[in-house]
Amino acid sequence: MSQPAFALKDVRLSLNAKSGPVDILKGIDLTVDPGASVGIVGPSGSGKSSLLMIMGGLERATAGEVRALDANLTAMDEDALARFRRDNMGIVFQSFHLIPTMTAIENVAAPLELAGANDAFERAAEELAMMGLAGREQHYPAQLSGGEQQRVALARAAAPRPKILLADEPTGNLDSATGAVIVDALFELQQRHGATLIMVTHAPALADMCQRTIRIEDGRAVEASAKTGLAAE
Amino acid sequence: MSLAFRFALREMRGGLRGFRVFLACLALGVAAVAAVGSVKTAIATGLSDQGRAILGGDAELRLTYRRATAEERAEVDALVGDVSEIVDFRSMAVATSRISGEVERGLTQVKGVDANYPLYGEVALDPPMPLAEALAGGDLPGLVMERVLIDRIGLEIGDEVRLGTGQFRLMATLVAEPDSVSAGFGLGPRIIVATEALDGSGLLGEGSFYESALRIRLDADADLDGLKERFVDDTEAAGWRWRDRRNGAPGVQRFVDRMAAFLVLVGLAALAVGGVGVSSAVRSYLAEKTETIATLKTIGAPGNGVFAIYLIQIGVLTLLGVAIGLLIGSGLPALIGPAFEDVLPVPALFSIYATPMVEAAVYGTLTALLFTLWPLARTRQVRAAALFRDIAAPSRALPAKRDMAFMAIVLVALVAAALVFSGAPVLAAWFLAGVAGALATLWLVSKGVGLVAARLARSSLPRGRPGLRLALASLGGPGGEATGAALSLGLGLTVLAAIGQVDYNMRSVISDQLPQEAPAFFFVDIQNDQLDPFLNDAKAVNGVAEIATAPMLRGVISALNGVPAAVAREQVDPAARWVLNGDRGVSYASAPPPGAVLTAGDWWAADYDGPPLVSFSAEEGAELGLKIGDTISVNILGRDITATIANFREIDWRGMGINFLLILDPGAMAGAPHTHIATVHAAATSEAPLLREVGGAFPNVTAIRVRDAIDRVSSGLSDLAAASRWGAGAVLITGLVVLIGSAAAGQRGRSYESAILKTLGASRGRILGSFALRAGLVGAAAGLVAIGFGSAAAWAVITFVMDSPFQFHLPTALMVVLGGAAASLLAGLIFAWGPLATRPAQVLRARE
Repeated sequence: MSQPAFALKDVRLSLNAKSGPVDILKGIDLTVDPGASVGIVGPSGSGKSSLLMIMGGLERATAGEVRALDANLTAMDEDALARFRRDNMGIVFQSFHLIPTMTAIENVAAPLELAGANDAFERAAEELAMMGLAGREQHYPAQLSGGEQQRVALARAAAPRPKILLADEPTGNLDSATGAVIVDALFELQQRHGATLIMVTHAPALADMCQRTIRIEDGRAVEASAKTGLAAE
Repeated sequence: MSLAFRFALREMRGGLRGFRVFLACLALGVAAVAAVGSVKTAIATGLSDQGRAILGGDAELRLTYRRATAEERAEVDALVGDVSEIVDFRSMAVATSRISGEVERGLTQVKGVDANYPLYGEVALDPPMPLAEALAGGDLPGLVMERVLIDRIGLEIGDEVRLGTGQFRLMATLVAEPDSVSAGFGLGPRIIVATEALDGSGLLGEGSFYESALRIRLDADADLDGLKERFVDDTEAAGWRWRDRRNGAPGVQRFVDRMAAFLVLVGLAALAVGGVGVSSAVRSYLAEKTETIATLKTIGAPGNGVFAIYLIQIGVLTLLGVAIGLLIGSGLPALIGPAFEDVLPVPALFSIYATPMVEAAVYGTLTALLFTLWPLARTRQVRAAALFRDIAAPSRALPAKRDMAFMAIVLVALVAAALVFSGAPVLAAWFLAGVAGALATLWLVSKGVGLVAARLARSSLPRGRPGLRLALASLGGPGGEATGAALSLGLGLTVLAAIGQVDYNMRSVISDQLPQEAPAFFFVDIQNDQLDPFLNDAKAVNGVAEIATAPMLRGVISALNGVPAAVAREQVDPAARWVLNGDRGVSYASAPPPGAVLTAGDWWAADYDGPPLVSFSAEEGAELGLKIGDTISVNILGRDITATIANFREIDWRGMGINFLLILDPGAMAGAPHTHIATVHAAATSEAPLLREVGGAFPNVTAIRVRDAIDRVSSGLSDLAAASRWGAGAVLITGLVVLIGSAAAGQRGRSYESAILKTLGASRGRILGSFALRAGLVGAAAGLVAIGFGSAAAWAVITFVMDSPFQFHLPTALMVVLGGAAASLLAGLIFAWGPLATRPAQVLRARE
């Protein structure tokens, strides 16, 4: 069998609060096969977004080991993590996180440019067109609706053809109709490029669309369902 | 308590976070203005407090070229009580040096005094002794001398010193003379002797140039105006000039006033720069409060209410900032000033003075109000829904008309305050116009930079250069950060650039242009019978290249075309007033001086023997409105000569050759006692032998080494330049605070940007490079505007105030641009460190 997309061993996260350190994650073990789609669910404050941040190298685990595509993220410095994301990951956030001073096409082209692609703008234009945003290339984020901003964010995540797609409540700020469009686009992307999708969500229906659902409760991971019999601990 | 006040207080419970820059900017600006005002008041008070001591009496009657006659003296004596007479002239002190063992000569300003001197104040000597005892001497009459001359010649107390042909004994070091300030600019260190001991020294002979003065002690309630009228009216023809204790040193007072006016303006520049900081601090504070404002509006707060809530907050902070500024600006001079009172060349009484504090407070409050109103007024204009949208991108709504009108009123009040308080309204008006122009240009340029950046960001230039694209996007995109930084930094750099260019030009006028053409020595007071032997002796010295001589007298222009000078003075171009003040050098010649260029008229025939004719300076003639055929009356030794203008001559005063404003035909001066002046060009190695030769043979002749005179003038100018630099420093520090403030205000945005970029795969080096690039671009743009405006201001000062040709100095200008870019870069990088060090998850989570 090919190497797993993710392999997490006893991953822990403590954050310092005014009242003292708070244990967010208390020992997560998780393996995700390449090309799988995994929904992460759990009550507010359970640590699901923190887990996603750690898997994306945006947060550093306090203890344990995080391997993505067989690379040890826990051993990498900030710049190595940034390069790893550039080459392998696309991330979509609930609040979109577009660069406000850049136009839609510049936002989408940014990761391609960072990767040194010569055709960054042509590819960015294609991605935007696929998201139904042809004609909105020169708009700044503030000039776009929430749904349009999230589609730009999705295009940005997909443009470099990443092996891993991370999504943190991608429909959390959108109405249900717009949310459905985004979700369709997200799964369509995952399937088109054969990427591994990890999605944090509150919506059970959305989690059900994934091949696996992991439930985070009190900082620990519990396998909730596995439709295709992929490996899970 | 009003609702707005209660809300304002609740809002302020969070402390002063976000207002440190506001307070620092305002306090620095106010402190600069208050400090300059306090020092100015301290000096003005010192001058008027010690007016009698500075003048050396309650009133002074001054004469040129002669002493009061017995009748005149009797008239003065009959009127009042104590009278003291002094004489003042340049001479050479000659003595055998204990260092070189040879006879050495030093230029000196001699004051001859009588037994009543000084009427007020004390002469301090080392070793301490009464002046009368020192001047009495012993075997020889005594003299006292300033330390610098004692050291220059190499003397010890008790040594013999020659003045002219008179021998004296050095009795003590002159530590302080009470009337030194009013003596004005002397080219050499001071010596005091008894006037009667100068008899037979050949120094006060007929035609020698010296001044004398009768100082008078009067009762406190004496009618100074009445006395002035009586003496000046009675004796104007005889050349009396009057001064009294009310303004003992008018020249010094004028200088201090002008200097202070200039520094107050520089202080205002600091305040203007601070104003930009105040404005951006208020803007970023209100940006943080956008949600609160929107919420307040949503729950029913009217626009006026919101306006009032924040105006109250900013008003309280303004009071605090102004108070801190006043404390520093008035307290510091009062605290540390007294320690410098003895070192200062002018008397000063340091204390806390109310007037400068009130002025600085008015400036500070109006500036804060002016720069706060714009961002504040916008909150009233914008609808609640738009405010929520404002969180993402600021709207461009203009303030309401009545707010604009209010701002206009504040602006007019500020301008009026500057015009009135500065004491130099014309200068202040030009200065304010310059500041406004610079600010407008900087604003336009920063907008231009934004537009160009936005266009470039969309061009092919940044393709494959994500760092560059990022920098261009942040400069050109919505909410771009260029404006605030460019305004504050640019204005600070403009002032610095202007002072840098003025400084360079002033230095080059004295140090670069002169020495190449200037003679080595001026010799003055050469008597008629000494002229030929003087020329022979001087020419015989090896290395002496060129000698020029001219007869010289001093005279006062008493009338132009029959209009008395006192009346004409009020009617002519202010630039030419100096011509009519005091006495001027006058010469006569049968032929034009070598190299003279006549701009109008003709020179008289060599054997001309008609009514008096005069050749006059072309530039001053034009300024006085004179033309060929007009008449000028000159009072020489009490006799008025009225001459017709035969021609105008071009004079280059900087050439340091022999130049006379007026040259008369020889017949007009027939019989007037006069001396000769000579300029000698000589190699540097010949200077000492020349001085020895001529000084030994002609003891009454005074040699002025041009290099020494230039040094003396240069050191005066460098004091001026130092004061300017202090002022520029205040502006620059304020500029830096504003810069740091705007960099700090942008930190939140940069943290966010940096987190997203890291998420997309950008390394820290690349992000840092992009931050550096944008800061450098803003700094360089501000620097370029500063060079343009600063140089234009410097050109105006050099051309119109200093009356000199302007030279643009590229290295100084480049230093300003590079300094601006570096300062902006540094501030940008310091505040980039935090965003770069933060993990993306922290920043992104905070925004969820």
